[in-house]
Amino acid sequence: MNSQELTTLYDKAKQKNAQYKHKICVCCGAGCISSGSEEVLKKIQEEITARGLENEVSAVPSGCMGPCNQGPLVKFLPDNTIYQKVDCKNIQYVVQRQLIDKKPIEDLLIFSDSREKPFLNADEDPFFKKQLKIALKDCGDINPEEIDDYLNIGGYSALDKVLFKMLPEEVIAEVKHSRMRGRGGAGYPTGFKWETVYKYVSAEKYVICNGDEGDPGAFMDRSVLEGNPHRVLEGMAIAGYAVGASQGYAYIRGEYPLAIKRIENAIKQAKKLRLLGNNILGTNFSFDVQVRIGAGAFVCGEETALIASIEGKRGTPSPRPPYPAESGLWGKPTLINNVETFAGIAPIINQGGEWYSEIGTPKSAGTKVFALAGKIKYSGLIEVPMGTTLRQIIFDIGGGMQDDGEFKAAQTGGPSGGCIPAEHLDVKMDYESLLSLGSIMGSGGLIVMDKSSDMVDVARFFMEFCMDESCGKCVPCRVGTKMMHDLLQKICTNHATKIDLDRLEELADYVKECSLCGLGTSAPNPLLSTLRHFREEYENRIRQFEELQP
Amino acid sequence: MRVRKAKKEAEISKNDPRVKFLANKIKKENYSPGSLIEILHTAQNAFGYLPLNVLQYITKALKLPPARVFSTVTFYHFFSLKSKGEHTCLVCTGTACYVKGAQAIVNELEKQFGLHSGQVTPDNKLGVAVARCIGACGIAPAVVLDDEVLAKVEPQELTQKIKSKLAAS
Amino acid sequence: MSMTKLTLQIDGRSIETESGRTILEVCKENDITILTMCHLKGITDVGACRLCLVEIEGVSKLMSACTTKVADKMIIRTSTEKIKRYQRITTELFAAERNHVCSVCIANGHCELQKLAYDVKMDHIRYPYLFPQCEVDTSHPLYVLDHNRCIVCTRCVRVCAEVEGAYNWDVMNRGTNVRIISDFNTPWGESITCSDCGKCVEACPTGALWPKAVVQGQLNKAPEFISDLIEKRKMKL
Repeated sequence: MNSQELTTLYDKAKQKNAQYKHKICVCCGAGCISSGSEEVLKKIQEEITARGLENEVSAVPSGCMGPCNQGPLVKFLPDNTIYQKVDCKNIQYVVQRQLIDKKPIEDLLIFSDSREKPFLNADEDPFFKKQLKIALKDCGDINPEEIDDYLNIGGYSALDKVLFKMLPEEVIAEVKHSRMRGRGGAGYPTGFKWETVYKYVSAEKYVICNGDEGDPGAFMDRSVLEGNPHRVLEGMAIAGYAVGASQGYAYIRGEYPLAIKRIENAIKQAKKLRLLGNNILGTNFSFDVQVRIGAGAFVCGEETALIASIEGKRGTPSPRPPYPAESGLWGKPTLINNVETFAGIAPIINQGGEWYSEIGTPKSAGTKVFALAGKIKYSGLIEVPMGTTLRQIIFDIGGGMQDDGEFKAAQTGGPSGGCIPAEHLDVKMDYESLLSLGSIMGSGGLIVMDKSSDMVDVARFFMEFCMDESCGKCVPCRVGTKMMHDLLQKICTNHATKIDLDRLEELADYVKECSLCGLGTSAPNPLLSTLRHFREEYENRIRQFEELQP
Repeated sequence: MRVRKAKKEAEISKNDPRVKFLANKIKKENYSPGSLIEILHTAQNAFGYLPLNVLQYITKALKLPPARVFSTVTFYHFFSLKSKGEHTCLVCTGTACYVKGAQAIVNELEKQFGLHSGQVTPDNKLGVAVARCIGACGIAPAVVLDDEVLAKVEPQELTQKIKSKLAAS
Repeated sequence: MSMTKLTLQIDGRSIETESGRTILEVCKENDITILTMCHLKGITDVGACRLCLVEIEGVSKLMSACTTKVADKMIIRTSTEKIKRYQRITTELFAAERNHVCSVCIANGHCELQKLAYDVKMDHIRYPYLFPQCEVDTSHPLYVLDHNRCIVCTRCVRVCAEVEGAYNWDVMNRGTNVRIISDFNTPWGESITCSDCGKCVEACPTGALWPKAVVQGQLNKAPEFISDLIEKRKMKL
């Protein structure tokens, strides 16, 4: 297998796909599966066969298309027409109208229940039009279980390019030039991270893909892994080449069996074509990927805890330095990046760091995937350029508030993040702007709340989560989160006084400053940000209680 | 040193297909202590939970200190040390069992006892769980009833057997 | 690793030292007091108690002195008002987490937690006691493990694994449910790994581990005995 043969593979994949005039993608992301999309796919395939169209039309499962609460979703290519809430009973009708009569059924088109005139080409709908997809680009268009589908859209060409045309230093320079920042939450510049690992001399190095997406309300990594696993593997292999590692681990949380199945399947297929494994594409470069399954611990998203977990131990974090780049897995230099980060690598290599760096804002380049949820009309998965405002996301893309309710706050960054109130709806969604409001980008969970949400209870909810997930190693997080939770509980049930609020604020500052790892230092964030923007809700409850006292 | 009383360890049957399945996994992982979590996943998938004798078996095979294994097991919420219910019925839903009608068994259990996977009767007498594969594919569909591996299970026969067990206890 | 000389400043004092040492080591050599609890000289530092946090100029986070190595021209502050305030909160949380009742504790008068409370001038505890249900394991013929007094510093765990090599202890569960366990959470007396050496008892800073052969007020632990032992074990005959 060498570069030449990759071209042959491309030709084969192209030929195989060229015979089909139409491709029907049925979203088989976890959301659509739960609304019955697998049955829909089966029925469509039966219908195609019954009509004798199997040589013209291919019907395949695909990854997430975005609007998860409209599922099951069925997309017809090349027209790019998406049908929503497809019922098994309608399939004959849909196929007849869309493929044979060429008269699409307007009433079943995506967002037909809320737009005056739905769009035949889904990309013209505001939900999709305002998005820019890089990490999710091919998610809804290819069969994630077939490597041919990925090859057909030029898959593994970035790996081919780096192996034959670029030195590791050049790959790192390209990634640095893109100004991409880690998508896991903290936003550390990816290129610098790669360079640090590259500089440490060691016979053994490791690349880890962090897919331990544990925030309640976040499912970006899951969708990428389920929708386009080869893209993640390609990114990991490129990283391996750049930093000098030959072993990779994909750490995926146990709650995502479908993502695990698809990435394991993708590894098998890539190995068969020698796109992973020994002597990739006939070069001296070898890179293998093993899947490690998380066992239910949020803290394992923290990189030192994740490493401990891969080593088969309790997932407790360790003080940094030493950073994993110097001493990580089995004490060797280790590169850890998030799923979404790896998914962005191949496009950067193919289209250049310059191209990527021009998207987004000066300090936060590129795009970011957000998981929209809560009291929003169209919940689901979106990808927008950094710097898109919260208002644009919620009202232009998300279609506004559910039941035309009044926007109260948006929670970003999950249990490590904060709430953004209505007066900051025009905040640009980038790392610095969110930080300045006391929230964080985090991994991309975005939960919209309306007037019915009680912000003190929101803070209590997240504190309970952090308390349950605290590993118990350091005192501030172990005891501090418990104390803060109990105080919040007291406020929630209207039993707290001004002194309790003072204690709470003092503890929040203490836990933030003194905890050992990111889970602890960010645990007070939801509390602090609600205190900052919705302080009156706390004070009202306290006043109510104090007024009852003699 | 202290005089130690000879402790009797809980028995683990070498003939249990689940033990063989686990042994194969441990061998495949090269007896490496680093694969502890992977092996625990396999064990829990096969047994429905992590019985103490299975933990002892894993501890010996990987040459790990017992406290290390126990501390790891109790750290992760996925792992469970206790089975649910006095009697447990573990239905294998691996591919082979699925093809041979594991679903019918699951349905029958639901019909007769009103139990889904992971549920237990209100009196805690019977718990039902499904395993992803217990490594007994040759005798599919397989069910493990209180550590007894039943081969080629007929749904009605199984529920009869469970009923007589419940009546006896 | 070759050592290079370096100069740094701690609390306004200029200090010369060598690379490769931790801030805590350098402070101790120069008689600068740093409060510690999970640290025990000779065993691996874990940075868990957060008492030894120091401010370093140019570093936004507070760093644990026991795990952070010194660097040239570092400017370190060990006892700012902020640090003192945090140390007091840490001590209060230690005291409120389990059931520490000094007057009836075997270690009364010889307890590192009690001494710490004096050091940080803790006159009362501002947080509600959690009063968890904790067991007392008296199954071992020589020693007692009282979870009521345990602060989960894990000195016992590390001493047992690293110095004695028995690895009888570890920590189970997480959050405030963490407990020190022997083997499979087996009663200590039935442990198959414990060698009865008592190093864990010596290393324990509080009244969580104690020998049955003493009465209250007579307990006098010597954790430095462990540190000496580690040094002696490095010597060649």
